[in-house]
Amino acid sequence: MTSPETGPAGAATSSVPASSSVPGGPPGSAGPGPSDAAVLVDVRELKVWFPITEGIVLERHVGDVRAVDGVSFKLRRGETLGLVGESGCGKSTTGRAIIRLNAPTAGSISFDGVDLAGLSGSELRRIRRRMQMIFQDPYSSLNPRMTAGGIVGEPLDIHAIGSRRERQERVRELMSTVGLNPDFVERYPHEFSGGQRQRIGVARALAVNPDLIVADEPISALDVSIQAQIINLLERLQGEFDLTYLFIAHDLSVVRHISDRIAVMYLGRIVELASSRDLNRFPFHPYTVALLSAIPIPDPVVESRRRRIILRGDVPSPAAPPSGCRFHTRCWLREKLGNPEECVTIDPELRVIASGHEVACHFAEKVDDSPEQLQATGRASASTPAAPGTAPASAVTDERPSEATTPPA
Amino acid sequence: MALLEVRDLVVRFRTHEGTIFAVNGVSFDLEPGETLGLVGESGCGKSVTNLALMRLLPKPAGHIEGGTVSFDGLDLVSLPESDMRELRGKEIAMIFQDPMTSLNPVLTIREQMVETIQAHRKTTAKEARVRAIELLGMVGIPKPETRLDSFPHQFSGGMRQRVMIAMALALEPKLMIADEPTTALDVTIQAQVLELLRRLTTDAGTALILITHDLGVVAGMTQRINVMYAGFIVETATTADLFAAPSHPYTVGLLHSIPRLDETRPQELVPIEGTPPDQRRAPVGCPFAPRCAWRLPVCWTDNPPLVPIDVNARLVVSGPNATHQIACHNPPTTEESTAGRPLREGFVPAPPPGSVVEDLAPTEEVLA
Repeated sequence: MTSPETGPAGAATSSVPASSSVPGGPPGSAGPGPSDAAVLVDVRELKVWFPITEGIVLERHVGDVRAVDGVSFKLRRGETLGLVGESGCGKSTTGRAIIRLNAPTAGSISFDGVDLAGLSGSELRRIRRRMQMIFQDPYSSLNPRMTAGGIVGEPLDIHAIGSRRERQERVRELMSTVGLNPDFVERYPHEFSGGQRQRIGVARALAVNPDLIVADEPISALDVSIQAQIINLLERLQGEFDLTYLFIAHDLSVVRHISDRIAVMYLGRIVELASSRDLNRFPFHPYTVALLSAIPIPDPVVESRRRRIILRGDVPSPAAPPSGCRFHTRCWLREKLGNPEECVTIDPELRVIASGHEVACHFAEKVDDSPEQLQATGRASASTPAAPGTAPASAVTDERPSEATTPPA
Repeated sequence: MALLEVRDLVVRFRTHEGTIFAVNGVSFDLEPGETLGLVGESGCGKSVTNLALMRLLPKPAGHIEGGTVSFDGLDLVSLPESDMRELRGKEIAMIFQDPMTSLNPVLTIREQMVETIQAHRKTTAKEARVRAIELLGMVGIPKPETRLDSFPHQFSGGMRQRVMIAMALALEPKLMIADEPTTALDVTIQAQVLELLRRLTTDAGTALILITHDLGVVAGMTQRINVMYAGFIVETATTADLFAAPSHPYTVGLLHSIPRLDETRPQELVPIEGTPPDQRRAPVGCPFAPRCAWRLPVCWTDNPPLVPIDVNARLVVSGPNATHQIACHNPPTTEESTAGRPLREGFVPAPPPGSVVEDLAPTEEVLA
């Protein structure tokens, strides 16, 4: 792959061929691995726990918030992986751990073949140049006392790239790349609108020619009409600069639009990982199905035909996750199957259910073609537009890719 | 007779930095039991419209500077403050976006609910408590007898919003105004709350004004929709008509700005260029003109009135047969509305006239 890798400094640590696969992995991330494309980031059994302490002087360790609790996935060069889930599921913490803004408690993260856990100081700084982050809130993530030019150019200063003059040139170039007037370099953040500020954040992330951009809810704080501008910008830049995105968001419809593959997280775990299309058409995890069904679609005709799966209660505390399957306390499928024992006693591993489609559920096969799945995806409407309500399962088999057919449990 | 009649409502904020033209002549009707969606982006005046109806505009800056609001035969603009207090909660209830800031953090749920009930009804504390438990049970709070003595912080976001709904319904209002009731909530919790809101308002025959920026939410929840931009209603129609034939460039733009979950293959998003208007200047011409792909020279100078799309249609302003109306000089055709951009041969949006200095005009995104 041709990444616009520039500095000689970065090359020193990253000379390991990108395709070299790192020693035998845990079961979670195995399966039909990404053999075709080079892996840029390989996350294995990542855990990020935050300690809960009691007492003021002698802080006793009384427990942990298990924000991320055993997450494995691979990020291929040039792809966009969407990470979705509700607040508190650990999606942001995962993204921050990759950039090492949060130190992992356990597990490994390798970036272009280099294990990040073993790095510190200048080595870490060098490799961090190749990964950048875009934050959610363009109001609090920009220093109000710095000019737009200063913000965009700061990464260049930190990594001492180019002369002063070259940096100024580069900043102007970056501003116009993201669709801002280069003459605005002397303006301060408050003089920009929300969308323009987010463009400054994007320009700053691009400044050092990164390979990977972690975008943490980059459009959630923006008005609807502005969101599309930023999505289109991110898509265009990916093609132009050969970027790899980890796109973190709670909004499945946006994630689906921009991502090649999607990982759904619940309570610190990935519960389903599939291509964007398969995940939306053939979701296998009961949580994914519920999540899809909960998203309103701006079309009253479709809305009147869909039926929501209303999950009972709230997400349990990540300090004391439920035994067995973490979703069992709210699972509609478990209820439908008459509360089987396994769900409470055995923690389901992420397993391959179809080509490139992994799911962590004991009874994922039962989801396939269930009325809940059909209603959530609106798949019935795609092939039989005239049939409202429950659609016959036979009507929806046309578009299914052949390899996705699953044997009955 | 309509339950609520708003005519030419004008709301302005007089601040040290000048006047903010928040609502610039809004008219709409609401039938008893009808559900109406008010859709628009931040700053479009949707929340201010409803604060004005409730006479809860921030003092001293906010003023109703014109128009009439009549609710159930009462003129809300001139009603004495004491009568207005009587009306709020009892006849018109409101649910806000953030349930943490709208509940009192130092009082238990019981104290707040009993206070609400006793403020308007002559009941003993005991009776009010029984009613509170009944209401909490109705909105799906488990073990309401014990939860009644909890403080707001002991509830999750979704539960707090349920408490708010319970309090809003306590006095069986005729009208409920829900201002972004689910924006602060996760999507699965949003589904719970919307379901509840729909069921309870339908059962009780409460009219509902739902304010939101999310077109998906109104699609499933309301019978009729007003789309607002810069303090004007730019399009109004029944929900079915609006989504079947979106006709104002702004509505078309909004629908093309969001990816749809059920699209069979990813569609290209067509963003609305530029940024929302600065409402510190008096509106001249069509408020949407600086961002509009369909604008004509006249759009810069004349603000089009809200008129029926079908000129021969009999004007119906509320109910299930409401007329589809837009405020536009140059509405998109059906094909253009589907494509999200003008398709006419050689059409170029009219440049701003020399007299209008428009620094809001899209300086960015020349590339797209």
